[in-house]
Amino acid sequence: MFHRSELQLNRDTARRFIPLMVAAMVYLATLALAGAVVVGATVDRWSEGLRGTLTVQLPGGRGDASVAETAARTDTAVSLLLETAGIATAQPVPASDLESLLEPWLGKGNLPADLPVPVLIDVTLDPGARVDLVALQRNLVGVVPGARVSDNGVYLERLVRLARSVQLVAGVVMLLVALAAVAIIVFATRAGLSMHRETIELLHLIGARDAYIARQFVTNALWHGLLGGIIGVVLAAATVAALGVIAGEVALPVAGLRLPEQLSISLVLWLAGGLFIPVVAGLVAMGTARMTVMRTLRQVL
Amino acid sequence: MRANLAVLHSEERNGVVRFENVGVRYGSGPEILRDISFELEGGSFHFLTGPSGAGKTSLLKLMYLAQRPTRGLVRLFDRDVTVLKRPELPPLRRRIGVVFQDFRLINHLTALENVALPLRIAGARKEQIEAHVTELLSWVGLSGQVNAKPPTLSDGEKQRVAIARAVIGRPSLLLADEPTGNIDLDQGLRILRLFEELNKIGTTVVIATHDRSLVSTFRRPELRLQGGDLTVHRSAPAGADRLRRADPLPGA
Repeated sequence: MFHRSELQLNRDTARRFIPLMVAAMVYLATLALAGAVVVGATVDRWSEGLRGTLTVQLPGGRGDASVAETAARTDTAVSLLLETAGIATAQPVPASDLESLLEPWLGKGNLPADLPVPVLIDVTLDPGARVDLVALQRNLVGVVPGARVSDNGVYLERLVRLARSVQLVAGVVMLLVALAAVAIIVFATRAGLSMHRETIELLHLIGARDAYIARQFVTNALWHGLLGGIIGVVLAAATVAALGVIAGEVALPVAGLRLPEQLSISLVLWLAGGLFIPVVAGLVAMGTARMTVMRTLRQVL
Repeated sequence: MRANLAVLHSEERNGVVRFENVGVRYGSGPEILRDISFELEGGSFHFLTGPSGAGKTSLLKLMYLAQRPTRGLVRLFDRDVTVLKRPELPPLRRRIGVVFQDFRLINHLTALENVALPLRIAGARKEQIEAHVTELLSWVGLSGQVNAKPPTLSDGEKQRVAIARAVIGRPSLLLADEPTGNIDLDQGLRILRLFEELNKIGTTVVIATHDRSLVSTFRRPELRLQGGDLTVHRSAPAGADRLRRADPLPGA
């Protein structure tokens, strides 16, 4: 005996939709979070790969006669680069690598001999070094006309900015979804208070404190939040896993976006999220329900 | 204990219930209660009578803190209820037992759980609750319906559950709105005697009733409401009261 609550909120048919609504919200929020995590991991890899590097491009030569000439110009440029303070290495990209870069457009082995393929030199800077790119460009053009220095940092910066914007949008989505979930709990709690008005009045009259009444709503909301959270996280995990499988089957055209790998890297994160998100959903639902009950009851005698 | 006695004495001196020029109106309608002034001393026993619509329930509501007066002063246990802060209400309400006219039982709880509610809310221990409640339920003749739920009980049985719930916490003030309206005469007398027993150990009792025979049998002072006004009628001496109670009731 005495295990039954006076309000029996779990028997309210109107409240049964709450876990489903919470599940939908948690699902959306988790997908947004997963998106933010993937983008974050991608940006980190870009940053790691591109930070402190430059690419120098030299105009390519035409025909067999120019091969020796091109090699000489490349050597001149490499020596000048290595003499420049702050530059650690300067490595011409092998012709075979360049060919494979062109392969998607020209096909394998279709590279015409007279195509003036430019020479690319990968340059890495000493850690923390700052190189005057304008002076470097001027000096290079002095020895190899037509040479161009591209600072990968500029591309990186733009990509990072894009990625951060995507993460910001994901954050806003999560916030909006959380607010919508809170609104649902507030609405459902108010509906419950109004539906059980008579019993609540009786409890008050026989000496129940607001907290005693709130406890029944809080327990119910905690349960709904946990249940909805678990359903939402499981569905989101299944969705992301399915996306991972599809992404693994098709080569993603976006450079550096290797979905399955990044998601398996964050397996621990998924497990932590799988526990953390439902608990957060439960706690948010609980806090919201308590606040709503206490505020609403303050208005009655 | 000494502090409690001091409180009790000060309440007895000042009255458990004290109304001064109290008026109640709903919205912009006429006043249901007008300039009501009276005082109930600790340990007193009163009937509250008057025709239907005279405001008996409204007056009781003011006493069990379900309503605030539109004007005037209401003091309960020496506290001005109009200035009470919200956290101060529950302790005061726990000292008041109420038998509602419509019983107000919780349908999905058993008779035992319904009666146990005030103790449970006050944080009493399970074992204590069960022993007390079972005993009281058997006293009101419901030992066979301990685990029955209100929808399966007759009106009379529901009323006895409601009465048991009102007295289980040994309230300082017991307010009953037509507590014998749905039970037979014998049961009614039995319930009234229970109220008297409580009264003997210090509970202040107010019983709203239509039943003139109860009033004449028990010969207690009467708060009579008529047209929104209240008059207090003193009863015959206590000796007569005792004599009358020993007599068989008219028609019994």
